[in-house]
Amino acid sequence: MTEPLNDADELALLKGGDQAAFARLVKAHHRALLALARPIVGESEAVEVVQTAWIKAHAALKDFEGRAALRSWLSRIVINEARMMLRQRKREVFLEDLQPEGAEPFADRFRGNGHWGAPPVNWHADSPDSLLTREELADCLSALLDSLPSNQRALLELRDSDGLPFDEVCNMLGISASNARVLLHRARARLFALVDHFEETGEC
Amino acid sequence: MLKCRDVPAEAEALLDGELSLGRRMALRLHLFMCGNCRRYLRQLRQLLGAVPHMHGDASDEEVDKVLSHLHDHSH
Ligand SMILES: [Zn+2]
Repeated sequence: MTEPLNDADELALLKGGDQAAFARLVKAHHRALLALARPIVGESEAVEVVQTAWIKAHAALKDFEGRAALRSWLSRIVINEARMMLRQRKREVFLEDLQPEGAEPFADRFRGNGHWGAPPVNWHADSPDSLLTREELADCLSALLDSLPSNQRALLELRDSDGLPFDEVCNMLGISASNARVLLHRARARLFALVDHFEETGEC
Repeated sequence: MLKCRDVPAEAEALLDGELSLGRRMALRLHLFMCGNCRRYLRQLRQLLGAVPHMHGDASDEEVDKVLSHLHDHSH
């Protein structure tokens, strides 16, 4: 993970058109932006959408005011590009089942009286970064992200990865707040259960 | 009284900044008495903090491709 030298210095470089700083920006966010575009436009168009978004972002960076985090700002550009592409090709947003289906993922971890039957194990990691420093776990997580239904993936990317406000996410995807909450909870619970299982067994 | 079963949803609402004062107090009371749920919340916070970095860095090839498109576009 490339963390910027210092946010303010890095931003000044970016706004001044520094090429190395722009390359660092691409390195740090490109994969996440692809992951955002994929559930919305599909695998094959995602690269094109994100490429165009980078061109727009490059041109607009000098006007970036820093009111949102850079990642949120970049994801809005990607979403706009994705929508424009869908409109041009007269396609609908490519999301599966916006209605939540299936069982609540934690259902079998509680007893009839509402107490934990299978409480979470104690994780070794003591910070978000240390969670991802174990390569096997990072691989398990990324495989799980790829396997989530596209609606859950889109929500998780927009809300938890890109940090966009909940209301904005619901509007973007044309989904009710209550459905969005359930879907987001499903995705988060799947991730939680995966890490928990990995901490217990050393496997995905 | 809040049950452990209710905590995952309440914990997410807390981290999303959507919990009213009353629900926040109820959650805090439960957490005070329940180590399992304290652990759950602590680890959920860690997990959600890691999500923005889960995709990792782009490879040099990917970065070069973006930059060369950019270069073509501006000439
Ligand atoms: Zn509890």
